[in-house]
Amino acid sequence: MVTAPLVHLTNQITHTSLVIGLGTIFTASLFCGLIDRLRGVGGTMSTSDYSYITIFEGILLYASEAPTYHIILEVALVLWIIKLLFFTQKYHPNASDKPTPEEEESLIHDWEPEPLVPPLSDDNKVPESPIVTGMTGTYVTVDGKKCLNLATFNFLGLLNKKNIHEVAETTIKKYGVGSCGPRGFYGTMDVHIDLEEKLAEFTGREEAIVYSFGFAAIASAIPAYSKRGDIIFCDEGVGFAVQKGLSASRSQLKYFKHNDMEDLEKLLLDQEKKDKRNPDKAKKARKFIVAEALYMNYGDLVPLKKLVEFRKRFGVAIILEESLSFGVLGKTGKGAVEHFNLTNDDVDIVCASMSLSMATMGGFCAGKTFVIDHQRLSGVGYCFSASLPPFLATAGSEALSIMKESPAMFQELREKAKLFRQLLNDISEIRVEGFEESPLIHIYLAHSQGSRELDKNLLDQIVSDCYQEGIAIVTAKYLESQEHNLPPPSIRLAVSVEHTKEELTKGAQVLKNVFEKRCQ
Amino acid sequence: MLASSETNPNAYWLNSRGMWAGYTASVIFLFILVNCIPVISIPVVWTLTHGIHNIGNYIMFHYLKGTPYATMDQGETSWMTNWEQIDNGEQFTPTRNFLTAFSILLFILAGFFTIQDTTLTAINIAIMLVGVVPKLPLFHGFRLSQLLSQSSDKEQ
Repeated sequence: MVTAPLVHLTNQITHTSLVIGLGTIFTASLFCGLIDRLRGVGGTMSTSDYSYITIFEGILLYASEAPTYHIILEVALVLWIIKLLFFTQKYHPNASDKPTPEEEESLIHDWEPEPLVPPLSDDNKVPESPIVTGMTGTYVTVDGKKCLNLATFNFLGLLNKKNIHEVAETTIKKYGVGSCGPRGFYGTMDVHIDLEEKLAEFTGREEAIVYSFGFAAIASAIPAYSKRGDIIFCDEGVGFAVQKGLSASRSQLKYFKHNDMEDLEKLLLDQEKKDKRNPDKAKKARKFIVAEALYMNYGDLVPLKKLVEFRKRFGVAIILEESLSFGVLGKTGKGAVEHFNLTNDDVDIVCASMSLSMATMGGFCAGKTFVIDHQRLSGVGYCFSASLPPFLATAGSEALSIMKESPAMFQELREKAKLFRQLLNDISEIRVEGFEESPLIHIYLAHSQGSRELDKNLLDQIVSDCYQEGIAIVTAKYLESQEHNLPPPSIRLAVSVEHTKEELTKGAQVLKNVFEKRCQ
Repeated sequence: MLASSETNPNAYWLNSRGMWAGYTASVIFLFILVNCIPVISIPVVWTLTHGIHNIGNYIMFHYLKGTPYATMDQGETSWMTNWEQIDNGEQFTPTRNFLTAFSILLFILAGFFTIQDTTLTAINIAIMLVGVVPKLPLFHGFRLSQLLSQSSDKEQ
């Protein structure tokens, strides 16, 4: 209440100064002849007599002297104003047309509800899935039969390491099973921070961030940086997780052909040309290249050197998904960057799932501190999802220590992958593609049966035959309606460092026999 | 109205009647200021008022893009002119009608006082087009620069 008179006083002063200011301008205009003009007596230097008359006389003059076209124009404009003010209806240019009540009625009338569960057609029956019992390792029990496991991504054989199990057990006894909250909301434990530090140290980058699901790492990392109005140059053959990240980013997507660097260069040059024409827009739009180091859907290697060259030449950031290459490529298993003898600064963001080589759960993303720190508030999978269960975090830390202690296993794994690939090359019924050191191998039918469905059926039969022969393998499965670029049907094999030469030879032999029997 | 969690202040600040009154007052003020220039005649005064208003109007509503406020739309408005942001893009709303009618009215006044001078009339018609045509719903989302760059592409 004390301030009220003060406010009143301030208002008074503002008002008075406004009146004085406007009054001064008014007086000034008086001096300059404004009033004279309005009264029609003054006027200084002008070209026409028209400026010497009053407004009233002007209107009369106007009506008698104005040309017809002008009158018509002005009448039309006046009518327009009247229409604008009284006869227009609001509408939104982007809104779709609403149906009339009659149309609505007929639509409802025509609608026939479908059964909630439609009857299955014969060719659409759910295949009987084999039942796996017991622990999954180099050998796996499928439907009660012991099979050699060539299906699980257990590249480094860490799945059955005793000390990892022990560490996980100790952690469960100490922390319980779940972490009970997102990282920013009581879900952060010392083991998470420990794992992040270890990951940063292992990858040789400044900082790492841990996601609770491998799929979510890349699917959150892409939209954390790339927003609407930004541009992503993306390989056509990226896996499903990357595709989900791309669509969540709402950026402008420009796909280049799988591993086709000429196509990418063409797109980048095209963009450069556009940027030159519209520099203001170019300044605001960020540009990214998104690729996988080893492609989940094809098993081939990205030409990373060329990408890094483009990064320098066109100023594009690289987001690399390393799920398959982490713990596989490079002398110390750091992934594709090490494999190509590049430095960590050459690739901006690296994402990987921890459920493949590291044999735990979750995913991580590593890079510069300012890059990673941004994700702690912008990575949706980090902010809005419960954090990684503590025992999986310690299992990951333990896996990293093992990877650090025995770097020889990466070389061994790659040699075994190479060997198995050579063995597979002897089978004439199949086509083996991809990078020769990749432990994930897709094998395709050399001669298609005519349609995708027939090929898939044949491969399914081969897989179930292999179970009988004591080999556990799987076909590559896709959400076919949602894939951007559906790969051809294939059998997906995974080599582990724990497979012996004899086991791999046996596996290849069984595959050869089965293929020969089925593809006559 | 488009549903959005965070409103864009650019969409509604012009809607208040106080803003309309202020707009009218500032144009009247502009008219007084132009009148203070001693040597020019009344037709020139009106043409100048009309011209300054419409060109300023064009720059503020149809040339400058984006919003000074931080919005939660992932930058959707950063490519939109201020005119397109009014009422979130809805057409023929009172604010849009007011601003369109204002430009037309100003032309009628200017045309009234310049009727004897054909050159000035022609200039006024051109100025009117600059002010009124971009306000038509037909030109919602239309970009002259884009059209020009497309036609230069064809020439190449």
